[in-house]
Amino acid sequence: MTKKIILLSLATSVSLFAQSELEALQAQLTQQMRTTQALQKRVAELEKKERARKKAAKAQKDQAAEKKEEESQALAVAQESQETEAPAVTFDQKSFLPDIALILDGSAVGRNMDNSTYESFYIPGFSTYDASKETEIPFNKNRGFNFNYAELALHSTVGPYFDADAIFHLKSDSFEIEEAYITSRSMPYGLRAKAGKFRSEFGRINAMHQHAWTFTSQPLVFNALFGSEGINDAGLQIQWVLPTDTYIMAGAEALQGDNDVSFGDTEKNNLYIGYLKSSIDLTDATTLLAGASILHGKNTENKYTDIYGADLTVKSALSSYSSLMWQSEMLYRDYRHYRGTADDAKQAGYYTQLVYQYNQNWTAGIRYDSLFKNLDDQPDDLDGYSALLEYKPFEFTKFRLQYTYDKSKTFGFDNQRKNVSTIMLDFTIEAGAHGAHAF
Amino acid sequence: MQKIPLRKIIFLFTMFSAIAFARFNVVASYPYLGKIVQAVGGDNVKVKVLASAKFDPHFVIPKPSLIPAISRADMLVANGAGLEIGWLPPLLKNANNPKVRIGTKGFVDVSRAVHLIDIPKSVSRAYGDVHPEGNPHFNCDPNNVLPIARLITKKLVRLDSAHAQVYQHNLARFTAKWKTFLRTFNARMHSCKIKKVVQYHELFNYLLRRYGIESAATVEPLPGIAPTSKHTLALINQMKKEHIRTIIEDPYHEKHTAKFIASKTGAKVIVLPHDVGAVRGTDTLEKFYKTIAARLCQ
Repeated sequence: MTKKIILLSLATSVSLFAQSELEALQAQLTQQMRTTQALQKRVAELEKKERARKKAAKAQKDQAAEKKEEESQALAVAQESQETEAPAVTFDQKSFLPDIALILDGSAVGRNMDNSTYESFYIPGFSTYDASKETEIPFNKNRGFNFNYAELALHSTVGPYFDADAIFHLKSDSFEIEEAYITSRSMPYGLRAKAGKFRSEFGRINAMHQHAWTFTSQPLVFNALFGSEGINDAGLQIQWVLPTDTYIMAGAEALQGDNDVSFGDTEKNNLYIGYLKSSIDLTDATTLLAGASILHGKNTENKYTDIYGADLTVKSALSSYSSLMWQSEMLYRDYRHYRGTADDAKQAGYYTQLVYQYNQNWTAGIRYDSLFKNLDDQPDDLDGYSALLEYKPFEFTKFRLQYTYDKSKTFGFDNQRKNVSTIMLDFTIEAGAHGAHAF
Repeated sequence: MQKIPLRKIIFLFTMFSAIAFARFNVVASYPYLGKIVQAVGGDNVKVKVLASAKFDPHFVIPKPSLIPAISRADMLVANGAGLEIGWLPPLLKNANNPKVRIGTKGFVDVSRAVHLIDIPKSVSRAYGDVHPEGNPHFNCDPNNVLPIARLITKKLVRLDSAHAQVYQHNLARFTAKWKTFLRTFNARMHSCKIKKVVQYHELFNYLLRRYGIESAATVEPLPGIAPTSKHTLALINQMKKEHIRTIIEDPYHEKHTAKFIASKTGAKVIVLPHDVGAVRGTDTLEKFYKTIAARLCQ
């Protein structure tokens, strides 16, 4: 075959050359044919040798395998009684089950207002009342008893590269995927990535679930700028712990922009969030954590909304079971309007809370909420006060008694501003395998 | 004018980071582990301890300021047996360091080197804050120090093989020193007259059991549950009936329940350190165990 190809190729090339060179070429050809023959002979010899070597190796291997089989048979005989006892666990996958936690939350509520009036609330300048739509009040909506939710939280390591988390909210009439995301495990240089649906980690309280809040109600400024859900959206997150002695963490998120209170244009991914957090120890027992964040996204007016946030937390441990914590967050919103700069909404608010943990069982706290900057024609004295007493008979059980005096609401029912007094007793339990909460 | 200080800062920063990165970085969850790592690691390792000895080892505040050290660590040494479950996992998660994740070569759980006792037959949170793996407070017994030191050395040798000989040499020296210490410690403990005690929490079971001292009951009704009046009264009766004259307390729990029980029973309250540096004069491993023996067998 090779010979033929060589001949043919040479013949073709030959025909391309001038006639006068033909004889010289013929001489070269015979020379080449001889070389090829010699080479073929050598290849054949080598092949023969290789075959012989393989045969010998195979024979050796067979012998070894036979020996091994004999050994394993002997072992099997010895272990036979053991093996027959536990065949049911051969493909058992119990140890790969995810951590499962069940969180229950319910409350008893007293309020100086009937339910239908309360449901028509809006925050002047921040939200409006639409009689045709049901107002979303996820927690403690009714006077009397409320069962707020049963939360099912699953956590599992998927492989060397990712962890998976899913948190489901089950209510009497709905099933909600609160969060479901994967987190990287092995990225170098202090990096971590997250993808899925998750609560954004800007600031302090947005990333926390209701059961982990100190107070049972959401801070007013978060409710006014993001609605009851906060920023909880589909997208990507990347966080970087800088290689410094002082803790500095930079985070960036690209989200769809589902939140229509401040954003809401979901034609494509339209919300970008960036934040920096840093922490230092003031003394052995006192830690300070500060953060700054920026949210930039397209709103339903086809314009951009920018939100700037700052947060500060100082926690001082008085003993192993007693501490004092002061936490505040401020948000400033610039919501650009399609009608032009004159209608741009520049609004701001903050909350500040002081929480004293007396011992393992008792905690008390106070919070002040304020929306201090509003549209020109809207009130800017919207605020509220909360007081809390928490009893924790065991680490995973807590009862919270909270009183809230809220001066921020107007009611669509008769378009009157009214102050709302609410007192509630709430229980929260965390059962099963629930991971510890971060700082 | 502006340029010179900036250049200086950059220069200094590079210098410091070069120094910081030169040594093998080890993070230890508790002070006693820091001391053991330092003993076998010597000058080749830089040790950072996360928890303060002033507080309950179960309830360490997961301060974000602890994250950078974990982020940069080449190895993390944990007590294990569930003791850090309430605070270390969120720190590990936020440190984004694949080298010391649980289950990797750089994560060392020293409870693997110790024979754990008090393993519960059945586990339910109805029994309080139980540790399914067994009692995690094995650091109160100095006989557990050498197995832990050997495990840490093994891991150091594997991860920082360039200094393997130094670590082995340090271990040999530490072993000899510790064996001498154990002889005097054993002698002291065997002369101890106390035969039966009540503890606040089951913190000292390893030590008590080894030296034949019975732990009859605890001041807390169940692990992690604060004392109740009903349990306290029952305990007073039990102590009177069984003639128990000693209550062992740790430095971080409230003392008034123990003092109340002592006043009703004529027992003595002894505060024992639970870790290196927990009380004054316990800043080395030897002094820590010496203080335990001295206070218990006074």
